[in-house]
Amino acid sequence: MSVLGRVRARPQATAGVALTLPVAVFFVVFWLVPFLAAIYLSFTDYEMAGTPNWIGLANYERMFADPGFLNSAWITVVYTVCTVVPTIVLALLVAVPLSRPGRLNRWLRALVMIPAVMPLAATSMVWVIIYSDRGLANTLLGLVGIDPQSWLTSSDLAIWALVVMVVWKSMGLFVIILTAGLQALPGEVYEAAAIDGSGAVTTFTRITLPLLRRTLLFVLVISVAGSMQAFVPAFLLTGGGPADATQVLPYYIWANAFPYEHMGYAAAMGMVLLAAMVIVSALQFGFLKGGDE
Amino acid sequence: MADLTRRGLLAVGALALLAGCGKDRPRQQAADGRPHGEVTVWLHGSQDTGQQFQELVHRYIAEFKVDVKLLYLPVGQLDAKLLTAFSGGAPPDVFKIGHWSFPAHAKKKRLAPVDTRALSLQDYEPGTTAPLTYQDVPYGVPIDFNPCMLYYRKDRFEEAGLDPDKPPVTWEEVAEYSAKLTSKDRRRVGLQWLYGDPQWALMMLTALIQGKGGELVSAGGAKASLATEQGLSALTYMSGIGNPTLSNPLGALGLFYSGEAAMVVSGAFLGPALEKLGKDTLTFGKQYGVAPMPTWAGGPPVVPAYTWGWGVAKDSPNQFTAWHLVNYLQGAPSVTANLDNGIIIPTNGWRDAGPRGKSEIMRIVADSIPHVDFGPIIPGTLELAKAAAGAVDSVAYGKSTPAQAAATFDSTVRLAL
Amino acid sequence: MRAGTILRAVWLIVAVGFMLLPVYAMLVVASAPDDTDLRGLVFNGFHLPENIGLLFGEGNLPTYLRNSLILCVGTGVLDVIFSAAAGYAMAQLSFPGRRVLFALVIGTLALTPMVLVIPVFLIVKELGWVNTFQGMMVPGMISAFGVFLVRQFALGIPKELLMAARVDGAGEFRIFARIAAPLLKPALITLFLVHFLAQWDNLLWPLIVANEQELWPLPVGLANFQSEVGITYHLTTTAALVTAVPPFILMVALQRYYVAGLTFGGLKR
Repeated sequence: MSVLGRVRARPQATAGVALTLPVAVFFVVFWLVPFLAAIYLSFTDYEMAGTPNWIGLANYERMFADPGFLNSAWITVVYTVCTVVPTIVLALLVAVPLSRPGRLNRWLRALVMIPAVMPLAATSMVWVIIYSDRGLANTLLGLVGIDPQSWLTSSDLAIWALVVMVVWKSMGLFVIILTAGLQALPGEVYEAAAIDGSGAVTTFTRITLPLLRRTLLFVLVISVAGSMQAFVPAFLLTGGGPADATQVLPYYIWANAFPYEHMGYAAAMGMVLLAAMVIVSALQFGFLKGGDE
Repeated sequence: MADLTRRGLLAVGALALLAGCGKDRPRQQAADGRPHGEVTVWLHGSQDTGQQFQELVHRYIAEFKVDVKLLYLPVGQLDAKLLTAFSGGAPPDVFKIGHWSFPAHAKKKRLAPVDTRALSLQDYEPGTTAPLTYQDVPYGVPIDFNPCMLYYRKDRFEEAGLDPDKPPVTWEEVAEYSAKLTSKDRRRVGLQWLYGDPQWALMMLTALIQGKGGELVSAGGAKASLATEQGLSALTYMSGIGNPTLSNPLGALGLFYSGEAAMVVSGAFLGPALEKLGKDTLTFGKQYGVAPMPTWAGGPPVVPAYTWGWGVAKDSPNQFTAWHLVNYLQGAPSVTANLDNGIIIPTNGWRDAGPRGKSEIMRIVADSIPHVDFGPIIPGTLELAKAAAGAVDSVAYGKSTPAQAAATFDSTVRLAL
Repeated sequence: MRAGTILRAVWLIVAVGFMLLPVYAMLVVASAPDDTDLRGLVFNGFHLPENIGLLFGEGNLPTYLRNSLILCVGTGVLDVIFSAAAGYAMAQLSFPGRRVLFALVIGTLALTPMVLVIPVFLIVKELGWVNTFQGMMVPGMISAFGVFLVRQFALGIPKELLMAARVDGAGEFRIFARIAAPLLKPALITLFLVHFLAQWDNLLWPLIVANEQELWPLPVGLANFQSEVGITYHLTTTAALVTAVPPFILMVALQRYYVAGLTFGGLKR
């Protein structure tokens, strides 16, 4: 390190600590401490009353014997894969043409955000109506000659009804983020590719995607984390039903805490979900190196 | 971060946690025998009786100089808020919860027993406070007391060639009539169950199983099984009737109103509710009628029932006033106003409190009180009910056979009870 | 080339049209006089003003709106300030504990908030914040998303630019406030919007902390409204529409900034 660098290191450290201190304090008080409490609870039989008793790994063992947990874990996997992948693919498909300049695109970029800014509670209400017997979904199906379906009350369809709503809701923001990322890509590489005579698809896979790594990583991390923790959509749209078909794990954790009061068990499931998410995130960071310096 | 700090944090976390729970703070109970001070009440709102209720509270405030603070909460979120408040040691003084919630709260020592100096349990019809009693200690008084009965559409009966004045009496007849009332595409059905609703699933299974002499819960609430002869036949029976994929914003009750369901099991509240939906389309005695809860042929009458109840927190510093207020809120003016909306407060002579007390629906209620069954009064009721709904629904949707569903139910409740 | 442009335009219009269809259906149902037609395709008269009037007749709606605005704007501004400071520092300054803090922040993205409800409630209670605005606001004040977002964008600020300022003798705080913050502004506006939306939707936490209707934000008030009045599709849709308006206005007002701003994130590495 240069002399200058060494001289500058101290003020940098001071400023760094000062600028991050509020955030550090906040995360320690409202996340780390409750988190440590939750870890502790996950090894106890705490039922929201009395003193928690240490029961070792019993809560963790219980999961494997609990059909509700296994069902929910599987639904969460399906739900996460089926919301994240289509959302990002569709967002890319829209973002690539949308990132070009032009008056029409400027308008469309504004419109595309509308679903994303609608409150989820409002959104769910609208989709309940869309999926109702005589709602929009069945009306559109009717136009192409398909019989009406019971979207939210059929145990086979409900999860897909949920997925469609979530993809619709989360696409807009990702389109905007990806569009922004695309617009920032250096123009020279495209020109070089054009001179090479690369086709559109080759340019996209060979040049655009790799250059978009950092943006993609951000979008992927945020959407996977969001999907694995998604609780509100199922809570509002289907209440976990019918026949537990949309009971994603966060919902099951919630139900075990409120109203069943198995706080220890809920905490243990929360830890398993956390571990799964850490593993998935680590895979993403490894797969798409580029988020870090 | 240094190890020491980490341990320090853990200690802080544990401390913060323990600060709130398990603390039986011996709060000073202020001088009894005279209502005073402040009482907070958490309840879910009701459009119909809301105004009358608030007037009553204002009168109480004026008469007894007690500061009553009402908080109306959305019914779906009441549990979560109440539980958080309890475990944080900050519960309200008075709250209105379902009878199925009482045993767990009582077991966890959150409830104050009824203070009989402020409220006399003798005022209530025999048996009606039993669902709010845990291990022989009464913890609450009932409001919105609902024994089940059968609602049926006379117009649909006529269409199907059934006698509109002869509702089914036995479950066998219910099945037979349902078959006749169900259209080919199953968009119109006979009896429709309330799918996805834990409490109702538990009530129906209770009726069907106990009506055949079996039991869903045994060993004083320590065991529960559907893998019994009666349990399996109940699941099979339920899956043969109704259509779970029918939807309506008001659920099965809405389907009954629309006529898609020709029969539905419900409580006394449904009659007045149907009136409010539209008196012109549906009139009692013309388009629809009511009948007592069916029984199995030759079997004993079993009338499943539920009720809401007023409870008082053990942590409340003002328990006497709390019960005094509850007693006031359950008084004659309330009985009348509620009865008018089909909501029953089963104090003695409730049927004489208003013209509706003489109605056919209320007669059925009164006749069924000796046979009511509130299900098991055990702390695990909520989960038992959820597992029951899981079993009923998975068979109804054809996701599993009755035997599979019963096995899942058994292994789920084994963990819960 | 020309054909490609047209094809692209058609695809985009179709895609965006499909995305807006539910919004249109919402408008149709919210304007309906009753629940008879739920297709949401054709306007059956325009009864939106009457429906809104019915809702506001409930009385508390203005209070709920005010509380929601306090909650969302208040925590939004705080989140922007603190996330900007921390995100920038984590991206561009070297200081002890940087990695640990980043891991802590990212780690919370993976935490399921529902297992933390009770511990957080206990902390709020120990602070004496039950039934207060700060009790509703502070636990959701700073988001890991925000810190993460700002950090990713701040990574794109050229090191040379900051170095040059240091050589000129500018202090670190001055560099942050005068150089970094303006460069980050678009990302911060995006963060404000996202935070506002998340809080605007927050039902559970305010419900748990607030013990008086006077403190309730909109989602709690509406949930209660629904459970009191029962479900009528067209009226609940009207309510939903009303709640969607403020975020929509905010989006339109900030649109210029966040779209422009987000381009910054991909700035050359």
